[in-house]
Amino acid sequence: MGLLVTTPTADPSPGGQTRVRSPWAVARAAGVAPFTRRQGRELLFCLAGLPFAVVSPLVLFVLAVDLIWLAADGGRGNPSPAEMAIACVCLGLLLVLLVSTRAARRLGSLQRRLATRLLGIRVAAPPPVRRRPGGRAWPGPGPRDGAGWRVMAYQLAKLPIGMIELYAVFFWIGGLVNLSYPLWWGAFRNHPPGVRLSPVPVFTPFGLFGEGTFHVATLPGTFAAAAAGAAMLLAAPWVTRAVTSADAWLIRGLLGPGRLTQRVHDLELSRALAVDDSAALLRRLERNLHDGAQIRLATLAMNLGMAREKLGDGGEVPDAAAARELVDAALRGAKDALGELRGLVRGIHPPVLDNGLADAFASLAADRAIPVELEVSIPVRPTPAIETIAYFCAAELLANAAKHSFANKLAIRAAGQRDVLLLSVADNGTGGADPARGTGLSGLAQRVAVVDGRLTIASPPGGPTKITVELPLRA
Amino acid sequence: MNVRVVIAEDAALFRAGLARLIEDQGHRVCAAVGDGGALLAAVAEHQPDVVVADIRMPPTHTDEGLRAALEIRRQHPRTGVLVLSQYIETRYTTRLLEGNAAGAGYLLKERVADVAEFADALERVAAGGTALDPEVVGQLLRASRRADGLAALTARERHVLALMAEGRSNAGIADALVVTGGTVEKHVASIFDKLGLPPDEGDNRRVLAVLRYLGS
Repeated sequence: MGLLVTTPTADPSPGGQTRVRSPWAVARAAGVAPFTRRQGRELLFCLAGLPFAVVSPLVLFVLAVDLIWLAADGGRGNPSPAEMAIACVCLGLLLVLLVSTRAARRLGSLQRRLATRLLGIRVAAPPPVRRRPGGRAWPGPGPRDGAGWRVMAYQLAKLPIGMIELYAVFFWIGGLVNLSYPLWWGAFRNHPPGVRLSPVPVFTPFGLFGEGTFHVATLPGTFAAAAAGAAMLLAAPWVTRAVTSADAWLIRGLLGPGRLTQRVHDLELSRALAVDDSAALLRRLERNLHDGAQIRLATLAMNLGMAREKLGDGGEVPDAAAARELVDAALRGAKDALGELRGLVRGIHPPVLDNGLADAFASLAADRAIPVELEVSIPVRPTPAIETIAYFCAAELLANAAKHSFANKLAIRAAGQRDVLLLSVADNGTGGADPARGTGLSGLAQRVAVVDGRLTIASPPGGPTKITVELPLRA
Repeated sequence: MNVRVVIAEDAALFRAGLARLIEDQGHRVCAAVGDGGALLAAVAEHQPDVVVADIRMPPTHTDEGLRAALEIRRQHPRTGVLVLSQYIETRYTTRLLEGNAAGAGYLLKERVADVAEFADALERVAAGGTALDPEVVGQLLRASRRADGLAALTARERHVLALMAEGRSNAGIADALVVTGGTVEKHVASIFDKLGLPPDEGDNRRVLAVLRYLGS
């Protein structure tokens, strides 16, 4: 959630073309679409998902009514309201049983895996059932398992959507069959003239037989059928894409962890990160003080102590030269300690930040050896926590750019919109910034995520790199 | 008194200053190293009278020096160990003195600023005595659960108790308080009586007795 890397794979067209510019390109995309591997997988998903659509509460209800009706009335007449009510109760019990045992969750996990495999969508599994301490030992998740009930809701929706998926499959099969008409007409219906042949039906998106189809009875007519088939094949990828997208949306919403659970999970994660981060910060601070200023001051005190010794107890000074040298060393030590403390203080909270981000960024830019272009317009001042995060993000991104990008020009842009602070650091360097390599960028993304912010990286190989940080104005 | 010293300290400036300070006092620095492993090797090689060791050193930057110090106390009982630290940490002190206060010391690093005091502590530890930092002793006194027992002491006696815990001899205490040895002896006897400690023994056992009393 915190990190977003823009890559060319996120494209909406079924043909897999990145950008569609000219009509020719559109035509090519449409023409190539049916033959991509992705299309094949989507088609396979439509078919493989069908058996699951049968495990629908609706189907189970109809089944239950029929069984009871057969058992009670031998299938004569219509099911009575009493029988319907009994079927309802049975269905309810069955659903509770499915949810209470692991069956519902297993059904969900199976379909989630199918979607991952064939549609390439990654949906996290719902969190495991939390056992209340001291609760009874029940092997399944129990009847109050929200994740299980959401699987059942998905099954209910899967029936109609499965039918539309079947319809998408029909586009492919019908299209192919239509396309083959001229071939087999030429091969098998080669009758002498004058013989009247019975017309054959041509599939259209509006029907298989009868109404909604048209018939051909001549060889030229079969070309019309082939044309209809080609049109169906061209449309097929889009129909498939549309229905599998809808299914994917349902899978994300119902078979995943659920929005609230996901949010809780994200917050738990970012809280853990924030706690770790501040513990690590304190530790680093302690280390820096212990190994830096503190030891410098101890050395300084030691030098002064020795100098005091050399100066003697009043009157004659036994070793003035040594004393002077020691005092000089102490003076140097004091200056070093001061410099080090200044650096530390700046690392904790740069004083210039009190004047707002514009001044702070200007001072950051001025510190760089590479020229930094600055463009800041923040009409409403963010809260101090946000300002601090924005400042350290900018500082780290600038340092990264200077270290890795070989750029000779950097730019900081910060704009405050209604309730969002948009900060971007760009360079004209070699690009290829990757959060997977090194912990810098992913660490930044984590820190930004703590306040529900987002870090977006656009850094194609060869450059330029632009890293955008989106932060809420208050946190 | 000419003492042979090995120094272990990872901050180079401080290490160099320490070596100079010790040599200025007329002692000999056999080796000055930067981590625990090198310290153990140097002690095995030079068999010094006393080791001056920092607690936090590479590679772990935790209690490397203390562990090396304990090892030295086990393997070379005749080498005194004076630990220098930036922490006031009574746990470290008790670990260092566990069972035996002879030839062990724990001082804050800034004590080196008082050259004479530091040299005195170094020589005391080298000779098999004890040196505890006044801040650590103060912490022990403040944190002691035997507050009622300590309340029975006069202000003067409390002062003498603190100096005793630092590892000073009666003569040393007399010097610090600018009184005669006899007066100190009277105070010490009174303290041992009031706290119910066994009668006054050697300096080191006295330190242990006092620490045990404060810590229990």
